[in-house]
Amino acid sequence: MSGLVARLRRTPSWQITLGAALLALGFLVAAQLRSEGPRVRYTSQERAPLIETVLSLQRDQDALKARILELNEQIRALQRRGEGSAALVAELNRQIEAARIAAGLVAIEGPGLVLQLTDAAGPLPPGANPADALVHSDDIRTLVEELWLAGAEAIAVNGERVTVSTAILDIGGSVLVNSAYLTPPYQIAAIGPPGLYDRLSASAGFVDFVVNRADAFGLGLSFAEPERVVVPAYAGTVTLRYARPEPSPSPGGP
Amino acid sequence: MRTRSAQLSVATVAFVLGLLVVAQLRAQAGAAGLQARSAQELTVLVANLTTRNEQLRREVASLEREVADLTAAAARGESSVDRLRTDLARIRTWAGLDPVVGPGVRVTVGGPLPGVAVEDLLNELRNAGAEALAVGGVRIVPGVVVAGPPGALSVLDTRLPDPFEIEAIGSPETLTGSLTRMGGIVAQLSARFPEATVTVTPVERLRLPATDRDLRPSHGTPTL
Repeated sequence: MSGLVARLRRTPSWQITLGAALLALGFLVAAQLRSEGPRVRYTSQERAPLIETVLSLQRDQDALKARILELNEQIRALQRRGEGSAALVAELNRQIEAARIAAGLVAIEGPGLVLQLTDAAGPLPPGANPADALVHSDDIRTLVEELWLAGAEAIAVNGERVTVSTAILDIGGSVLVNSAYLTPPYQIAAIGPPGLYDRLSASAGFVDFVVNRADAFGLGLSFAEPERVVVPAYAGTVTLRYARPEPSPSPGGP
Repeated sequence: MRTRSAQLSVATVAFVLGLLVVAQLRAQAGAAGLQARSAQELTVLVANLTTRNEQLRREVASLEREVADLTAAAARGESSVDRLRTDLARIRTWAGLDPVVGPGVRVTVGGPLPGVAVEDLLNELRNAGAEALAVGGVRIVPGVVVAGPPGALSVLDTRLPDPFEIEAIGSPETLTGSLTRMGGIVAQLSARFPEATVTVTPVERLRLPATDRDLRPSHGTPTL
């Protein structure tokens, strides 16, 4: 402490002035940025708390999804340690692992393609509806369907795994995938065989989307073929309330 | 020595300033997608996120129970074979790897309708909580898409007849209500495709087959 005081005493006053000025500048800039949002962007008072609520719900959801992934890991670890007939347990664990991979509950990485879709930046064609300048859920659904048809084996939209239960919806002006609302740019990551891009771009449905939707309204559509595409695990509910496994014919029964 | 301490103070201030700016920019980026939304849209979003977070919370609770059960069973030295079997059946049924039974709806689709319109119906059924889907007797799993122009629809390599049926397992009331509500998907489709007919019938018991598709990844590698 006395060392610090001594050092401060030794420090030329211009340095202190400069330091203090820069620090003040930092706070000013931060305060400015913080106040700018509400003043410039919010047109009505009620929206600021709503945006705060949405952001806080989204934070809750991120924490819940992280917890689901963590619990799934714990369950896997506990199951592997399970007692009982060792060979039977090992076999059941192998089958569970295979089912989890098939279901999309495990992240997968490999060769593939990433499509990026963004809202239109330029002027709209005359007579077009301003809503046409935005990416909607049906745009994303079309690309996901075309990627499946082209041979993709795993797909995620902005990190949300597309599973057997995944709906892609327009909710409150946002695109909702699984339980998460997404913000542009929309990145659709797909893992698939070599030639995935060639097959996609040769598809009539995809060409129709590019010509009559993306190009017609100026939506941004770009591609990347990174060496490794990562498609994360699904972090959501795998609970069945109405569906039951078909009762297997009991041995000796009718 | 003097220059050095001056450099240090400037560097520290610059560092703090940088952190502030980045933190501020991050916070703004998070809200960026929301700035353009109206109060009404934001309200819908809040309601939706609340419902979905509630579902996730229930999933967390059920997984926590499973962890507790497994831990207790391990402490008692009990066999976990039954648990493993139940878990395996649950995941395989959910994923479409096993046949499945349950109540639900049968949606009969006739007339000229493109594949994307059928996909819109399936999307709406998933949103309404359908737990298993089949089209023309083919179980719908990731990668299986109903495609083709009106009058020439197919799913996998199966050509769909006209009319054909979509079967969905879930709450018959919820599924029916969600499809047939005013301004819902059935109303939208009949406005866009006046010659097509879509009828929804609640069913007490449906049986959907397993997929015959191999869902094991052959190009990607699971990361463990």
